[in-house]
Amino acid sequence: MSTLDDPRDLHGAPAAKPARASTTGWPRLLGRGLRRLVLLTMMGLVLAGIVHILAVLLIPVLAERDAASVYAALGDEGHAELVTPAPAGLPGLAEPDPNSVSAVCGFDLSTGPVRVSAQTGALPLGLTLHRRGGGVAYAITDRAAIRGVLEFVVMTQEQLDEHLAQDEEGETSRELRVVVPAPQGLIVARVMLRRAVDRGEAEALATSVACTSAD
Amino acid sequence: MRVLELAYVIALGAGLGLASAHYAVAERPIVGRAQIGAWTTWPKSGARDTDPYMRAYLARGVHLPLGAGEGLQLIAERDDAGQPLDGRCRYSVTGLTPPARGWSLAVADPARRPLQLAVARESFSDAELVRDERGGLRIIAAATPEAGNWLPLPPSGRFQFRLRLYDTPISSHAGELRPEALPRISRVDCR
Repeated sequence: MSTLDDPRDLHGAPAAKPARASTTGWPRLLGRGLRRLVLLTMMGLVLAGIVHILAVLLIPVLAERDAASVYAALGDEGHAELVTPAPAGLPGLAEPDPNSVSAVCGFDLSTGPVRVSAQTGALPLGLTLHRRGGGVAYAITDRAAIRGVLEFVVMTQEQLDEHLAQDEEGETSRELRVVVPAPQGLIVARVMLRRAVDRGEAEALATSVACTSAD
Repeated sequence: MRVLELAYVIALGAGLGLASAHYAVAERPIVGRAQIGAWTTWPKSGARDTDPYMRAYLARGVHLPLGAGEGLQLIAERDDAGQPLDGRCRYSVTGLTPPARGWSLAVADPARRPLQLAVARESFSDAELVRDERGGLRIIAAATPEAGNWLPLPPSGRFQFRLRLYDTPISSHAGELRPEALPRISRVDCR
């Protein structure tokens, strides 16, 4: 009779050893492992929160497909250029209003402030400054026009400080100065079309917006 | 073992962080949203102090949102009863629009695909409308021609209404608008 045939060898003393280990060692090991996993997961979630916040904040900084980056070269000739319909070789607006016409002028204040001036017409005209990386920095409509002209100067905070220092003592400047947070961006002239036949007039009005160096 | 644990933490943090950031700004964010009846608007989308989620959303595409002093856009994806807008149904858009120098009501595809319309009319402006004797607004939106102010719809599938108000005094406090101040969208029937 071999030892294997002895039932005591299978269910007796030798089998008692692993049984004892499973009641004491394994649960403790498992519990420690689980606690470690929970701790690591919590650390992962905290890291995920940090990555989430950083990613959301970095998207505008790293953006290359936003309107201000895509249309940066438009308006070089000193007046706004139409983006509805999309200019040749450039992507169109994401959600254009079929009842409006938009023309844009890219600006870079590193070479000095930019003067924007627009003649008003019969159709509603709005001028907005869009900064690079998305977001509107300033908006004005033709209701604010004086004698049919809407004019303002776009500058950075440093350029404004410089201008204020140069202004004559006691003299008030008559020009409207708009400070933008970023030196690059877009000037957008948007004209609402009341009727389809207004398109020609609206396009002429939007593209007549001048954006030239203020110096 | 330590390397595995570190890899797990980094993979979880980077994966979950980037994926959640992507989904949070893939469409207009939930943050800063104002729901007025069937209409949704983001009053701060054109403001100088817009939130980081809206900025990130705007930076991901060629967006030129209406400035806060320039106008306001409202989007409806559902009718007043809460049913998603469907091209197989007829809708009537009635009621009032907030004070504005001009407005337009357009049909748009939620995924920004070009619309397949029966005629080339995607929108109505306030000047193009034919009003009833009391000056009320009534637009019928349907895939097949209708009498009156007919706004063509795509023959099937989801769509959105976009109401753009130009030069409106309400743009700074749009979140406080009451549903009665905006057009009502009611489903007439479905094919």
